[in-house]
Amino acid sequence: MEQKKGSSVRVNWKLHVVVLLLVIITEAIGIHKISVGPGIILLLPMLYAMILGLVLYFTRVVGEGEATAAEPIIILSITYLIAKIGVLIGPNLPKIIAAGPALILQEFGNLGTILLALPVALLLGFGRETIGMTHSVGREPNVGLIVDVYGFNSPEGRGVLAVYVVGTLLGAIFMGLFAGFMATILPLHPLSFAMATGIGSGSMMTAASGSLAAVFPEMADDILAFAGASNLLTTATGLYMSIFIGLPMATWLYRVLGPRLQGARFQPESRREER
Amino acid sequence: MALDKWQEWVLLLIIIGVIALVGNQIGFDVPLLEALPGMAILGLISLAGLILAKVIPVKFPSVAYIGLIGILLTMPASPFADSIVAYTSKVQFLALATPVLAYAGIAIGKSWADFRALGWRAILVSLLVLIGTYLGSAVIAEIVLRIQGII
Repeated sequence: MEQKKGSSVRVNWKLHVVVLLLVIITEAIGIHKISVGPGIILLLPMLYAMILGLVLYFTRVVGEGEATAAEPIIILSITYLIAKIGVLIGPNLPKIIAAGPALILQEFGNLGTILLALPVALLLGFGRETIGMTHSVGREPNVGLIVDVYGFNSPEGRGVLAVYVVGTLLGAIFMGLFAGFMATILPLHPLSFAMATGIGSGSMMTAASGSLAAVFPEMADDILAFAGASNLLTTATGLYMSIFIGLPMATWLYRVLGPRLQGARFQPESRREER
Repeated sequence: MALDKWQEWVLLLIIIGVIALVGNQIGFDVPLLEALPGMAILGLISLAGLILAKVIPVKFPSVAYIGLIGILLTMPASPFADSIVAYTSKVQFLALATPVLAYAGIAIGKSWADFRALGWRAILVSLLVLIGTYLGSAVIAEIVLRIQGII
């Protein structure tokens, strides 16, 4: 292996050794299945690795320095996954193009977020935070949009940041457990779920499509190819979906449902470009 | 483009690739040397995408270039398709995913204080946000795929 060349390239060796050990331990534990009623929950090495990594952060083994060094490496390690997805999509390209209409239209599925989460947020007593929380899946481009429109310290801004933090911390683990389980209890085709895993977050897509592929090993390559294509599409269109559809629809539904569900406690939304 | 950056990418890609090769052997019983050519191909595709994103002035994310290069190299018209697919099939997707989430687990420790400050209601709504988009997309995909007669 290459040694340090000059002093400009610095590598946090401790971080990589810890990750290597985590990979050895978690891959040795392997994949385990838990049956829950008619469904299956898959426990994958990547999920143990994420949880153990988080646990290690609170020990003396790794600290702030390793956590900071790990951040840019997540993106770099995801490039391998994207390359792998690329070579899975290539041979399946005719099939994926044939499914283009489904692939494009399912992008509107994130409106399901508004229909499901917005009423619940109102019932739980959230005010204008609701709009930030439920207009989209709350990843980086969506945080940027809300902060741009309402400001960082607005209730809407706090809302989207809350979803961002929960997604960062729990998203991959939750989707890894939930995606495969839903696919085993609902009568929808695995390819439909595969497309649905492309929600615009690399780590959530990885965990969700990985668990789907493990539940349906005979369709694994198709599942990963469709999931990857969908995630690339969401990465490209997600922001515009929020601007033109998600945010207007969340704002409208907030105005319509808010007074009914919250009565006198309802707060009308912030005026745009104001804090 | 700074040469430092380039060297750093190569070094880190090698480190990540070696870690994933070890995981690929332990978790999926693929001998390390057998999967090495496939891993090298994936690493070179990644590197090419990272460099393209840096040198082409249009704002387009490196992951999009990487995905595109992978697709172009293996689409039916490509003369390299068969050999690249054969080599890279030795590298399991799940083996590549484990190091990603190990790094992510260590990095998210920094968000723990923010997370703890949130109440259960915010966590519940956030999980419903993820469930909503997942099920919403799956239902739409199912309807369209059935109308098209694909499934």
